[in-house]
Amino acid sequence: MKNTLKVERAKLDWTQQQLADKVGVSRQTINSIEAERYVPSTVLALKIAKAFKTTVNEIFVLEKGD
Amino acid sequence: MENVNYTKEPVLLPGYFKMIGIVVMIVAFAVAISFKSMNVAMGIEQKELLRELTMNAFILGLLFLVTSRDKVEDELTLLIRLKSMSWTFVWAVFLVIVTPIIDLLFDDAIEPLSGQQVVGSMLCGYFIMYNWQKRNR
Repeated sequence: MKNTLKVERAKLDWTQQQLADKVGVSRQTINSIEAERYVPSTVLALKIAKAFKTTVNEIFVLEKGD
Repeated sequence: MENVNYTKEPVLLPGYFKMIGIVVMIVAFAVAISFKSMNVAMGIEQKELLRELTMNAFILGLLFLVTSRDKVEDELTLLIRLKSMSWTFVWAVFLVIVTPIIDLLFDDAIEPLSGQQVVGSMLCGYFIMYNWQKRNR
């Protein structure tokens, strides 16, 4: 699963730590999601989307193999 | 239908138990070493009792250390805990199966594992796996 977390963060000039604090996870978790090493749960994906005031589909995109 | 919250945090000890665990382990280790180095005259039963007590204290300290909360507990740390737990389980099975084979092949080269040794190695394995995976997340 691809994601545009880094782009969305850059748009708002947020650091990974700032986003992590907003959604209640560690900075390393945000880093793992951005690097596509970890796929977040539905709850966390919704929280991230809410933080960016957008929808989950805008941030997380399914790939061919998913 | 009941709404089950799968994202509920696992039951973990408060963070300060990490320090308590470390202190208990150090004290147990120091007592064992000091009694050994001072060559205190003790009967076999007393020696065995001291060995049991220090070993149990060490295991308890290790248990406190691995089951206490980290600064940030989230779904990724929960997943890492779960993965580490599975690896630890595999490690324990491997240890229990392989040790008698080594013993058989090398003619009583090693003593049979006690429950404490198995549990101790499981906790050590869990601690190493958890921290290694956390570092590489």
